[in-house]
Amino acid sequence: MTSKNGQGLAFALAACLLVVGVVCYAAFPQKAPEEPVRLMFKSTAGKILFDHMTHTAAEGYGIGCDDCHHEEQEGSMSCSGEDCHGPDTEPKRGDALHSNCKGCHEDSGAGPVECGACHVM
Amino acid sequence: MSSQKKLVVAHAPYWHDGSKISTKNYSIIIAALPAALMGISQYGAPALGVIAFAMACAMIWEIVWSLILGKGATIGDGSAAVTGLLFGMLLPATAPWWVVALGTFIAIIVGKQIFGGIGFNPLNPPVLALAMLVISFKGIFDFNESLCNYDLGFVMTFPLADLKAFGPEAIAKFNLGDLLMGRQAGGIGSTFGLGLIVGGLYLLLRGYMRWEISLSFLAGVFITALLFNLSDPEKYAGPLFHLLTGYTLIAAFFLLPEDSSSPANFIPMLVFGAMAGLMTVLIRNIGAYVDGVVFAILLMNLANPLLDKIRPKAIGKVVENA
Repeated sequence: MTSKNGQGLAFALAACLLVVGVVCYAAFPQKAPEEPVRLMFKSTAGKILFDHMTHTAAEGYGIGCDDCHHEEQEGSMSCSGEDCHGPDTEPKRGDALHSNCKGCHEDSGAGPVECGACHVM
Repeated sequence: MSSQKKLVVAHAPYWHDGSKISTKNYSIIIAALPAALMGISQYGAPALGVIAFAMACAMIWEIVWSLILGKGATIGDGSAAVTGLLFGMLLPATAPWWVVALGTFIAIIVGKQIFGGIGFNPLNPPVLALAMLVISFKGIFDFNESLCNYDLGFVMTFPLADLKAFGPEAIAKFNLGDLLMGRQAGGIGSTFGLGLIVGGLYLLLRGYMRWEISLSFLAGVFITALLFNLSDPEKYAGPLFHLLTGYTLIAAFFLLPEDSSSPANFIPMLVFGAMAGLMTVLIRNIGAYVDGVVFAILLMNLANPLLDKIRPKAIGKVVENA
């Protein structure tokens, strides 16, 4: 059996933690930063973790936005929009990303080109 | 007949030594705080939110259960708070609120209360909850995916995922000192190895935890990983890497030694810990999951009643263990 003091302390602890938890969830919602740090692309061949920051930072590879985001995109940075690399448009998103990533890796002689080096199940 | 005393029974009156379940549980919370605070300092308010909400939800579920059953509130024993804290420490800082609410429901109601409450649970409640959620919502527990918006100034890929996908070559970028000091991606309270070890030692010294399970688990992980590593160093990582990554250390000091889901006798405790260590590395090295700790613990929890039948003590015989 626990004492009444113990119960009171536990109820007070539960109430305080509930307030802290709700406030933290409500006041600090998870949102993606304006410029992504890393991106997880999902595909049937496995997920790809892409380090966006290392590719764009000046002390990284210093690739300009236009090199990949080659069309004017309003609001969204999604590649698979209706008019772009959607399922019914050529090249499809997968083909576009393959040629973009692998092409650059091959041209510059850096970065992986084998399937399993990017795609992780 | 030898003259050695076989039975020692003291007569009444007995004197309560003042120890309470709540003191033990609040000691576990204090012991877990360094690791939890490190996680909160790294990930900030979202991590604090997850831990606080997990503890609060766990206690609320227990209150609700007590009300449904029409019995007095039991949260004063601190057990629900410990379950909530440990569950929160296993989650990524980005865990949504409903995952926390659902997970603590599984831990408290499914994992503990339906078996009869504190002391009756056959499986470790936070581990059971985590296992069910990992199977149901893979993306949330993929630390590479869930923490992709964080850049904390160290290598932010999940070490065990790198090992699984790309082999030991890919883990050369991890420094063992960094891993020990919590400079690695993972659960909020499961990455700060030093904090977990200090917390574990505190519990050992206070007598709230048995060294046998922790040490045999760590030895099991170390020896199995070493054997794998010696057999093919290009395919399998070294033992220290396995000790300092994933849920290994939080399991050794906070999850495996949980009272009712672990054995009470000396030899069973050693077998329990060592087998859990063996299973952990087997799942990591040749299994499908990136971190095998969760499933290794549940498997050994199931074996616990059988293990405790190995050389049980005779009734009345005074032994140091049990």
